[in-house]
Amino acid sequence: MPFKIYGFPPSTCTRRVALVCKELNVPYELIPVSIPKGEHKAPEYLKRQPFGVVPAIDDDGFTMFESRPVARYLVAKYGKGSTLVPDPKDIIATAKFEQAVSVENNHFDEPAGELFLQLVIKPMRGLPKDEERVKTLLATLNSKLDVYEMVLAKQPYLGGDILTLADLFHLPWLYGLTEKAKLDLVTSRPNVARWYQEISSRPAWQAVKDGA
Amino acid sequence: MTLKLYGRLQSTNTQRVILILKEKKIPYELVEVEFGQNNQPERLQFQPFAEIPYIDDDGFILYESRAIARYLVAAYPEHGPTLVPPPSAGLRAQALFEQALSVEAFNFYPTVSSILMERLFKPFIGQTPDEAEIATLTEKLDARLAGYERVLSKSKYLAGDEVTLADLFHIPLLTLFGLGQIDDFTNDEKVKKWPSVARWANELVQRGSVQA
Repeated sequence: MPFKIYGFPPSTCTRRVALVCKELNVPYELIPVSIPKGEHKAPEYLKRQPFGVVPAIDDDGFTMFESRPVARYLVAKYGKGSTLVPDPKDIIATAKFEQAVSVENNHFDEPAGELFLQLVIKPMRGLPKDEERVKTLLATLNSKLDVYEMVLAKQPYLGGDILTLADLFHLPWLYGLTEKAKLDLVTSRPNVARWYQEISSRPAWQAVKDGA
Repeated sequence: MTLKLYGRLQSTNTQRVILILKEKKIPYELVEVEFGQNNQPERLQFQPFAEIPYIDDDGFILYESRAIARYLVAAYPEHGPTLVPPPSAGLRAQALFEQALSVEAFNFYPTVSSILMERLFKPFIGQTPDEAEIATLTEKLDARLAGYERVLSKSKYLAGDEVTLADLFHIPLLTLFGLGQIDDFTNDEKVKKWPSVARWANELVQRGSVQA
């Protein structure tokens, strides 16, 4: 029975799960949950995802939600030999991986996501941009990417020497901000540029970047 | 060499680490980083985002409070309660634990810390809370608590019937609900909407105060 993703093809978090499926060659069936039609708030869907957001997954009867934990589950179940998550027996590598994942959560996701909302989603819906808010968010995101530039000058990936989920988790927002919002976030940062060029050119991302 | 924790007692992120150190009965030394001193060069070399806390465990430096907590659990397995599912619990238990951690990080922490930023931090630095923003954030939080109720009406804790790091990570902010005038668990009308969450929240605050 194929791995089922209940999601919305253009959604950031749905694509994040689809990306990891592609990385691990896990075939999936995408069952559409229409955000414009409000299907993510329907009682049936809330049984799968109690917070009413996409995606949720069903792996042969095992259901869960939250895109990043789903990614970890995919690696644990289908990623034999995968280095996308370090071996838990390597306590130091695991700690550095968790630090990098936490950095993406706490420093990157919110400003990046809200910038995308302001610069891409709002215009699409005919809503006015909040220029003051955009200025603040850009300042925040740029200051964070300045730190990324320093970190990536000393090591090839955010968790250390090996590419992990911590790097891949950035792809949906970074792609959206650079390609759709046309923000120049990387050209002035050679190490971030090198890192982004590498992760964004991976075939798995190319396969799902415009829709899971 | 005793583990050194660089932070401040008033910082909720430092408190998150102290909570786990105390739960696990791991000896530590708190090195006070004064407010406004995070970006001193001797601090930035260890925590490049100019934040606290970070630890120095016999030369191993780590930042991000949740990553530190996960490291402590892995590095000190014989100390205190396990707080994470054991390997014998299997893939699915591990996945549900990761799901619960993600719920705290994305569905609780950002919204609650923004409310507390308005109510507590702004007055501290001589600014006025933005009541309109607080109203929007409160609406968001209430919607999330409805999600929590769907989960906690079916299991005692977020990842199942045992307490884990995912529950404990909420304690520093839950403890500030009173001071921050967030009445979700003290207002009888609100408690009726999420009685399981109220039970869980009050138990956690109690647990946190015992450890303090």
